[in-house]
Amino acid sequence: MSSSWGYGRAFYRCLLLFAVGVVLQLCVGDVNNSFLQYPWGLILAVNYLYILVLLHTMRKKWRWVEQLSDTYASTSSLASMVVMTIIFGLTRQEPSTEGLVGLLGFSRMTSSWPFNLLLLYFTTTIGLSVIDDLHHWRHRRLAAMMSHIATFVILVCGIFGSADKLRVTVNTHLERPVVEGTDGRGISRTLPFAITLKEFKMDEYPPKLYILDTKNESSSKDFLSVESLPAEAEIDGWHLRVEQMIDMAGRMPDATDWREMIHTGAAPAVYLTACNKVSGEQYSGWVSCGSHIFEPSYLFLGERFAVAMPRRDAKRYLSRVEVEHMDGQREKFNVEVNHPARIGAWRIYQVGYDTARGRWSTTSVLECVRDGWYSAVHIALWLMLAAGVVMFVTAGGRSLARKSKAKIADVKSKSK
Amino acid sequence: MSWQYLIWFALCAVAFWLSGAVVAFRSRRSWVATSLSLCGSIVFLSFIVGMWLSLERPPMRTMGETRLWYTFFLSLAGVAVYSRWRYKWILSFSTMMSVVFICINLFKPEIHNKSLMPALQSVWFVPHVIVYMFAYAMMGAVTLFALYLWLRRPARRPTGEEMGVCDNLVRIGWSFLSLGMIMGALWAKQAWGDFWTWDPKETWAAATWLSYLLYMHLRPRLREDYHLAFALIVFSFILLQMCWYGINFLPSAQGASVHTY
Repeated sequence: MSSSWGYGRAFYRCLLLFAVGVVLQLCVGDVNNSFLQYPWGLILAVNYLYILVLLHTMRKKWRWVEQLSDTYASTSSLASMVVMTIIFGLTRQEPSTEGLVGLLGFSRMTSSWPFNLLLLYFTTTIGLSVIDDLHHWRHRRLAAMMSHIATFVILVCGIFGSADKLRVTVNTHLERPVVEGTDGRGISRTLPFAITLKEFKMDEYPPKLYILDTKNESSSKDFLSVESLPAEAEIDGWHLRVEQMIDMAGRMPDATDWREMIHTGAAPAVYLTACNKVSGEQYSGWVSCGSHIFEPSYLFLGERFAVAMPRRDAKRYLSRVEVEHMDGQREKFNVEVNHPARIGAWRIYQVGYDTARGRWSTTSVLECVRDGWYSAVHIALWLMLAAGVVMFVTAGGRSLARKSKAKIADVKSKSK
Repeated sequence: MSWQYLIWFALCAVAFWLSGAVVAFRSRRSWVATSLSLCGSIVFLSFIVGMWLSLERPPMRTMGETRLWYTFFLSLAGVAVYSRWRYKWILSFSTMMSVVFICINLFKPEIHNKSLMPALQSVWFVPHVIVYMFAYAMMGAVTLFALYLWLRRPARRPTGEEMGVCDNLVRIGWSFLSLGMIMGALWAKQAWGDFWTWDPKETWAAATWLSYLLYMHLRPRLREDYHLAFALIVFSFILLQMCWYGINFLPSAQGASVHTY
């Protein structure tokens, strides 16, 4: 068979799948993956693997099966995934069904029939390649085999486990146990445990001072970070010098001065002098970002400019929570960004807080995620990581073209 | 260390890199060119380390900061390829590209904010960015080499050895792309509870990864048709640009990505 016909046939197959996908999209709408919920996703995944093994054993009898696992099939399915991913990247993802892209499902790509059919075909070609690799183990193809296996496991878990992930957003308040949250569709979900927020802690970066242009409603690109005293900088022709800084300050309703106040709602405040480098104008006064209790303070530099302090950036924030299981057993966890708490198949993530109150927030937004396919994907990702290392170490040997000749010779010798 | 010192470190590093590139052509002793180029990389790395210390966080957050790493890894990739395969031209290529990125950083300096948002405070942050920058550097080098082979005058068919260089560089670059992508997935699971969310940056990273993978699968069948091989290398590199900074300008990605710097 000539290679041009081989490619032609393989690409026609992709085109046919795309056309079938478009027809299905127009007739039945988006792919509804709810039928893949446990245990059906797992049952279908096992059956899919069984069918792949069956196809592999039957490949000599049925020509079309053999054609599914040849180089043309893998290359064409890969090329079709490149095209679909580029369309994915160029299309804004939103629930809209308007226009041609909306009608074809491209604006909801992960739920569109053309994308899912081509993804399943791509997964199938990799799966058949993996079975062939395992059947005919070749040491020199170790990196390729490892990455094939890892990609296949990731894709199978991604497809058949797509309906099993549950994300529940929980708004917790200090000392109030919560057992319910809402999922991504706004449906109320009950958790198998109760969460009580015991403490919310936040570290912040030092306050920053910017020059505001009230006429253009813009702020300076440069800023003065007040980490220690004395702090000074030149910003947009103004020399700023901070003379006093209070980390926790407050201001009485009629007062202009800020003073130390160790109390809920306290805000950072600085006393500074600003001097114009050209005109010599000089202004002094207090500047603060304020809080949910205190109004912010600005230092006006004439009619147009002002020195302002935006709310401080969060450095880290964590929630100390107590989890009570159904059997009455209690556990304490610190939940922080990048450090989720793990409770069986569930993980609790720190998502947010009351931004109006900042460090004084008494609420914490947590997200409880249940992912039954986590372990399989996790192992596959580490295998992929190892495959990348093996590929780097073994790169620089024979060229891809020479490798192909060797592979062909390999196949010929096997067939003899 | 502050941004204003970049020019002095850059001048010193470029002097070393240029010397290395010249020596690679003039001298038979490869260790001289390797040592000179490495000295340049060390000088540039010392600036990055200085920035790291003064910022009190890894300088990997802004585009300008990632360009610093790209420049460093480009020079290092050049040295690695030269040491491994003795391609004399690679040091000139890597020097030229490093100079371009240094110039961009000199003429478009960025504000180096010390703040590092909590999501970026992860053990995966540094290896994820470094590995990706190294991959980008390798892919940049192979794209330039492919363009040289494709457009050189008088036009002639690339030799097996020349195509072998392209294959090797793509293979190394792709292995690093894979490492970067997997590290990103493991990090995303820790930070947001999902390995993959089809965020615009992730979508373009997948397109880039798949496109280079397509090259690797097509090459064995493209022994004669080098035009398609070169076209695919250039096309994949365009996808890489979309992933790196193109999404910042893409209307479909505005406000939809968590990868905003």
